[in-house]
Amino acid sequence: MDSSMATPSIAADHRPAHLQLINVWKRFGPPERQTVAVRNVDLAIQPGEFVTLIGPSGCGKSTLFNMIAGLIAPDDDGSILLSNKVQQDYGLLGKVAFMPQRDLLFPWRTVIDNATLPLEIEGVSRKAARARAEALFPEFGLEGFETHYPHQLSGGMRQRVALMRTFLFERDLVLLDEPFGALDALTRSMMQRWLLDVWAKHRRTVLFITHDIDEAIFLGDKVVVMTARPGTIKCAERINLPRPRAASVTTTGEFIDIKRRLLAVVEEESLKTFGGATLA
Amino acid sequence: MKRDALLRSPLPMLVVLALAWWLVVPALKIEARYLPPLGAVIADARSVWPDLLAGFWRTLLETVIGFFIGAALGIAAGIGFAQWRWLERGVFPIFVALQSVPVIAFGAIVVIWFGNTLASKVVIALYLAFFPIAVNTLRGLQEADPQRMALMRSFGASSRQMFLKLSLPTALPTIMIGLKIGLSLALAGAIVGEWFGDTVGLGVMLLQALYFEQVPRLWVLILTCGGLGTLLYGGAGLIERRFIWWRAE
Repeated sequence: MDSSMATPSIAADHRPAHLQLINVWKRFGPPERQTVAVRNVDLAIQPGEFVTLIGPSGCGKSTLFNMIAGLIAPDDDGSILLSNKVQQDYGLLGKVAFMPQRDLLFPWRTVIDNATLPLEIEGVSRKAARARAEALFPEFGLEGFETHYPHQLSGGMRQRVALMRTFLFERDLVLLDEPFGALDALTRSMMQRWLLDVWAKHRRTVLFITHDIDEAIFLGDKVVVMTARPGTIKCAERINLPRPRAASVTTTGEFIDIKRRLLAVVEEESLKTFGGATLA
Repeated sequence: MKRDALLRSPLPMLVVLALAWWLVVPALKIEARYLPPLGAVIADARSVWPDLLAGFWRTLLETVIGFFIGAALGIAAGIGFAQWRWLERGVFPIFVALQSVPVIAFGAIVVIWFGNTLASKVVIALYLAFFPIAVNTLRGLQEADPQRMALMRSFGASSRQMFLKLSLPTALPTIMIGLKIGLSLALAGAIVGEWFGDTVGLGVMLLQALYFEQVPRLWVLILTCGGLGTLLYGGAGLIERRFIWWRAE
């Protein structure tokens, strides 16, 4: 069952991928002093799939993310396909719902005006945008906070506002870059379960970056591990834990087996980064 | 509650200062030439009350008109500099050089160009207000967070939307600092502008008091100028607290 560990991608699924990365590279700097941030990444995400990506810090996760968001162009070696269509440089801008690590709320906007920002940019009327946002407030646990300002909210609430903003930008592919990284452990585990509920209801395709192995296994249909820099996909493992997942799933033998395997791989890569740093 | 608020305001301190002036000057036998008794200053103020009021309005008008034109031009220039690098490189250093010429040196030319009119004071006021507003607008517009810009781009924002929804609101607190500096400078500009010739205004009265060594009159004018400045600055502060209360993170 765990033979998937050996192959860099999971080819078992024959539906057309929602997002596909083929031989994606990113190099920075002039040829003689080049740093390779991302090398030879192949990755396919099926429609409605929740894929988590882990890797040692500085492995090029964010570069990869920015390429999928369309913020930076990949090198010419490979290509990014969205719903089987090859994307031009920066062509992905406006096609992917992207949520960076920091909540990046605008301090001069109220909670509801922060949430409707992407709709405003799309040209949705203020009234229609507000109506759509208001419908989401109970689900996001923000009822009664519509006219508050970000500085009046806790970290967990700010993160939910940022997630609501991402969800209101209704794209089928959602990119989340360590959205819970700055939260305390209790808030984080509550936010994880809540995110799964929201995902189960809306069924967007999700690519979720984290450096927390527990989080990656708990959330994902598939966990993808990146190598140390220059980052590439080391392995991918399908997580067949039944859904909906309760917090107690993290103490089952199955969960711990998966964690043991992934931990070994991640540790190996982290050591490379660490060793490289001390040698240099 | 109301008494508490009153006690925490600057009002008690002002009363203490006035009392000290009233008591200390006769007690220490300070010569009127250095600091006239408070009673003499108040009496003088009452004797020139109509002139003082007319001067106050005139100087206020010059300051406010000069400030608003200077603010409009300064903000426009700051936006232009932020938008086009070549404009900043080509024109900004010239502005810096112009700024280092003391306004007094320009005064005579301004009077030759505009005559002894309201316009010449307005021009000097706007000239002084313009620069800090332009600089702060430019600096504020350069403060927009790159990650927020990336987020806006990922939403498909046009450059116009980027400016109106992100760069400008980010810049507003910094622009506000420039506006407050500009306001004080516009007042100074209006008063100095009147020195080059006019018949009405606080600056004119100051100059006359200086010539005729009317020491109590000088103090009346100092206090009136201070009141005018406080009024303007307080108004700006009120607008800031109401509308531009956020800070860059």
